[in-house]
Amino acid sequence: MTDKTDNLAALMRQSLNGDKRAYAEILRETSRFLRPFLANRLSFTNEVDDLLQEILLSIHKARHTYDGNRPYKPWVYAIAKFRLQDYLRAHYADQMHHADDLSGLEDYLHENVTESAISYESISGEVEKLSQKQATILQLMHQEGYTAKEVAEKLGMNESAVKVAAHRAYKILRQKLEK
Amino acid sequence: MGNIEALINKLARDTATVKLAPHPYTLSLQWMGWATAYLAVSLMFSGVRPDLLSKLHEPLFAAELAALIGIFVATSLSASLLSFPDMHQLRRVAFAPLITFVLFVAVMFFAWQTDNPSAPLPVHSFRCTMGITLVSLLPAAWIFYVMRKFASTHYHLAGCCALLFSFSIGAIWLRLYEVNNSIIHVIEWHYLPMIAFAMVGMWLGKIMLRW
Repeated sequence: MTDKTDNLAALMRQSLNGDKRAYAEILRETSRFLRPFLANRLSFTNEVDDLLQEILLSIHKARHTYDGNRPYKPWVYAIAKFRLQDYLRAHYADQMHHADDLSGLEDYLHENVTESAISYESISGEVEKLSQKQATILQLMHQEGYTAKEVAEKLGMNESAVKVAAHRAYKILRQKLEK
Repeated sequence: MGNIEALINKLARDTATVKLAPHPYTLSLQWMGWATAYLAVSLMFSGVRPDLLSKLHEPLFAAELAALIGIFVATSLSASLLSFPDMHQLRRVAFAPLITFVLFVAVMFFAWQTDNPSAPLPVHSFRCTMGITLVSLLPAAWIFYVMRKFASTHYHLAGCCALLFSFSIGAIWLRLYEVNNSIIHVIEWHYLPMIAFAMVGMWLGKIMLRW
């Protein structure tokens, strides 16, 4: 264990001296041990890959703050945790934003569709002008009564992607209806 | 996966010999050296209070000054450590300002308790805060500029320490320059604003030290 830690520090020292091969090696090794760390904290593989790339870039940017005389892993994990927190903060802020928008839209649709007698059928012409994916999602949800989860299963998408697509479609429809 | 490999190859291709950041202790010493020189120059221009020597023999004034210098040293050390992603793996030292700050509050509390009968309040009020702010602006700008070259992962705390460090310079300067024995005035117009600016530093750190 200590040998491996020493190896990493030694590799990084060589990298800081301009050794390109050692640098590629240490980045590869870093991504190897960071991948499970990120995978345990994120749901999707593409998220892990995106964040891992961001962390590698951050390591590259901050490599002058590592002198090779202290353990390498705590330094890397400090950067990784920092980027992970940033990512999660942005992700949840985005989710909250969507949740706010969706609840606002639900009120709006409820008011307009049921009370103002605007039915799905009456705006189906506008729905057809949306992209095929958005139109299908709205049709399944509002004409056939599927939930977002069921639509996701039917279309092979994840639930949040369905909600986001529906949200975008609502936005377009709202703009058109307001005109 | 392929993207990661491509990125690694690109980063490795672009790398060259890297100029390492100095050790945080060296960095801190440099900051304190520059700050002391700046303080000396400021005092040369403004002059020192005429009763300084006799005041230095008063235990509470000396303790207050020592506590302020403690904050100055501890925040410089902490700000330099907080500039590194892993705090140079000296986490305990990075939180040294907490101890000095508690000491400082204790000294001020004791000074306030023993200020009986209270020394007369000076006529001016916010002029002192403005003076401290003006003297502290240059060190604050400079320390943020230097800290941006590193990679802080605790930018709120780093910003807080940076401004506390800068404002401790201003507070020391004013205590050595102004003839004023009112502890209430000193707390209200010197030290509370200094703490308020440290809070502003948290916000400023988020803006200035992101990377």
